[in-house]
Amino acid sequence: MHIPDGFLSAAAVGTTYVISAGGVANAVRVARGKIGEKHIPLMGILAAFVFAAQMLNFPIAGGTSGHIIGAALVAILLGPWAAVIIMSVVLIAQSFIFQDGGLLALGANIFNMGIIASFGSYYLYRLINSLLGNNRRGKLVAGFVAAWGSVLLASIACALELALSGVSPMAVVLPAMGGVYALIGIGEGFITIAVLSMVMSTRADLLKLQRI
Amino acid sequence: MKHSFIDRYSDRDSLIHRLDPRSKLVMTLAFIAAIVLTPAGSWLVYSLYFVIIATMVLLSKVPISYILRQSLVIIPFVLLVAVFIPFFKEGDVAFGFNIWAWHLSFTHNGLQLLWSILAKSWLSILSLILLTSTTGFASLLKGLERLRMPRVMVMLLSFMYRYIFLLTDEIMRMKQARDSRNLGGKRLRQISTVGNMIGTLFIRSYERGERVYAAMVSRGFDGQSRTLDRLRFSPLDIYFIACISLVLVCINLFNLYW
Repeated sequence: MHIPDGFLSAAAVGTTYVISAGGVANAVRVARGKIGEKHIPLMGILAAFVFAAQMLNFPIAGGTSGHIIGAALVAILLGPWAAVIIMSVVLIAQSFIFQDGGLLALGANIFNMGIIASFGSYYLYRLINSLLGNNRRGKLVAGFVAAWGSVLLASIACALELALSGVSPMAVVLPAMGGVYALIGIGEGFITIAVLSMVMSTRADLLKLQRI
Repeated sequence: MKHSFIDRYSDRDSLIHRLDPRSKLVMTLAFIAAIVLTPAGSWLVYSLYFVIIATMVLLSKVPISYILRQSLVIIPFVLLVAVFIPFFKEGDVAFGFNIWAWHLSFTHNGLQLLWSILAKSWLSILSLILLTSTTGFASLLKGLERLRMPRVMVMLLSFMYRYIFLLTDEIMRMKQARDSRNLGGKRLRQISTVGNMIGTLFIRSYERGERVYAAMVSRGFDGQSRTLDRLRFSPLDIYFIACISLVLVCINLFNLYW
């Protein structure tokens, strides 16, 4: 879902850069307010964790494989603003190191996979968790829907940006991308609940961390 | 440790390597912006940009095969986004076919747009590869910091860079252990194994973060990073910036009035 350079119009590049810069600046302010200067080493190392976790491929269907984005996992464990910081650091490094996602498209990519995916999944998780009750089953179902939703919401944002940039009509790109990523998101959901249930049974205290 | 997958060839010596990271960053950004803003179908302009990049690659002494290979690794991901483009654009139909219940038609306009976007993406990717294979990540960060990127982001990025190698090694070790135990079974079982690996890595990373912070605080960390700053513009940078800007302006004037 990383948008390369060349797809977005100047207006889309400018708008998403402004929104993402504001979002990341606020995320840093919130993190500093809540855990002080500790956020720098902790978020930096957890960004390296997301980067390494994205290197693990798992089978999807028909011989294809995929990897997780990780925004939902981090948002559920550490809170949405922490996820915004971690994902934007990961995306900046991916753009520079692997050219995965363009330099001018960085604002849009941080907006989709950082801000939209983090906040979308965090609130989906909270909502479903409170509906189903705060037990193991409630947490796992909420985790699955949140992770699936984070991928779907990010892809919808991506499709809207492409459509508004005039590269593809809305009626085509929105259902096509949404449909494809609704399927891909199932993998993200399963991995996320596998991680959550593992953390729950070995270090349940990590699920009660202060959310940022 | 597998170091070589990040900023490979950045420790070599050439005219391009010796440039200040700030001038390389700014010029790469300007160059990519010029590429992206070029209208669709300006094939002459695209080839001129390609000539400039090729000249830089030759000057940088980075192996051409490496740069080409790196850029081709990304192309499938570009195509993944690009597949949504050529349908249903207004214009003459180039060819159409039926898949199941849908009739898909590719128009000349749509195809023209698709090829232009692919060319622009590829050119941008080439310039980014040239930037990272001639500039080490540490000096890139120093350049970004001097270009007023917020200090916190620079510190976060440098922490991440430091621990990428360690955590990648850790996940590779887990992968080796998993593969040597002959992972099989149903897909759900495989997924839960991957989940356990990621969970283990998360717990270890979180604990490592706490230990690192404790070690830093006990050495007097107060949220600031202090580094020696040895960045210096040389005459080489001035020639470089002047040349690239002049060429970019000329190409764009030419494109506007011809």
